[in-house]
Amino acid sequence: MARIDQVSDEDVPGAFSWGHPDALALVYERFGPLVYSIALRSLGACADAEDVTQQVFVSAWRSRDTFDRGRGTLGGWLVTITRNKVADALRERQREGRVLLQVAGGAAVTAPEAPSDQVVDRIVLADELARLPESQRLVMVLAFYSDLTHEQTAQVLGLPLGTVKSHIRRSLQRLRSRLEADGVAH
Amino acid sequence: MSHTDPVILALRALGETAGAADDTGHAQTCPHCRAELARLTEVVDLARHGDPGEHLEKPPPQVWDRIAAAVGADPGAASAGRRSRARRGILAGRPRGRLAVGLAGLAAGLIIGIGSTAGVAQLTRAPATRVVAQIELSPLPEFPQWHDATGTALMRATASQQVIVVTLHAPRRPGFYEVWLLARDGISMISLGDLNAGHTGTFTVPPGVDLRDYSRIDVSLQPFNGSTQHARTSVVRGSLPAAALGPGGGSGAAR
Repeated sequence: MARIDQVSDEDVPGAFSWGHPDALALVYERFGPLVYSIALRSLGACADAEDVTQQVFVSAWRSRDTFDRGRGTLGGWLVTITRNKVADALRERQREGRVLLQVAGGAAVTAPEAPSDQVVDRIVLADELARLPESQRLVMVLAFYSDLTHEQTAQVLGLPLGTVKSHIRRSLQRLRSRLEADGVAH
Repeated sequence: MSHTDPVILALRALGETAGAADDTGHAQTCPHCRAELARLTEVVDLARHGDPGEHLEKPPPQVWDRIAAAVGADPGAASAGRRSRARRGILAGRPRGRLAVGLAGLAAGLIIGIGSTAGVAQLTRAPATRVVAQIELSPLPEFPQWHDATGTALMRATASQQVIVVTLHAPRRPGFYEVWLLARDGISMISLGDLNAGHTGTFTVPPGVDLRDYSRIDVSLQPFNGSTQHARTSVVRGSLPAAALGPGGGSGAAR
């Protein structure tokens, strides 16, 4: 018999979609930093990013019936809601800017940019990179950001060459899958 | 001919010239291997375009308070009542009911599933925040124009301060919503501040204010007229329970 205290990471989206009262807290623990970071990078201001984060989770909870696990991941669904809320916030900001400029007798302001796909994808990538086991994460950080070859990386970290190769292959695949599931890249 | 070794494709995506001598031809002509190389190269480019120190920021704690308050006030969330009871039960250290055990279990499952130390730290830190009261805010019969409005106020206490998180469900109207503490004498009042565009706000109770004297929370609609006085239009109101404010409930006892 399924017991509530055996809910795994994979089951959290399920608990969420059938409205388990504590599922929202767990979903927030898992995805709060992702949503907040996308909003913060796109909007710059902490207060606006906080408002957007709040709107995303409240809106996600209220429309949890529309989340279809068969059609995508919970993370991807939340990222989509975040992008919409960020776009709304930018539009609102533009509207306020226009009002201020009209009062000041100025010209129209240029259209705001929606959160760029790259911003969203980079944050999803950073999120997944942070979730890699420590030694895999170190290998990938060196692979991405240093000039070391994989042989040199193995020496620096004191790992067998085969381990470094397999870390690189598996981690790169994992990062790619996460981007395809939750990011904007397809 | 067999496909290029996935390890070599991964290393190529990183810009290394691994296996170049024996395999260049295949990786360039085989559609499968070319597509796979392109997929992985995209990840590498994206990572390198960013900052090595790219990291995620955690939202400040008041964001969750506001979400919890907003969801708790939502009549559509059938489980909202159960949720807040379970949460209070845990926080107040009362005997745990089935739901409380459920939360701990779910949390444990998530931690094991994720294996994230950050997640563990946050989950274990959460109960340190004492929610001492969560009340409904209701419209007043004197102001029938607000009969549809609802709200919640959630009060947190730490050793040094009391924080009130207010959420309002009311239509947007010209002006802005302001939150007040009303004294028992019905005359004195203290402005806590304005609600944001999402009709929520997090307010710190000013030091020296005794909530046993100022136990009622009131939300007003204020016109943009520069006045700092209560506009005399109360949208919703509610009273903090004495049990949460007296000795043992307020900030003074949160040691």
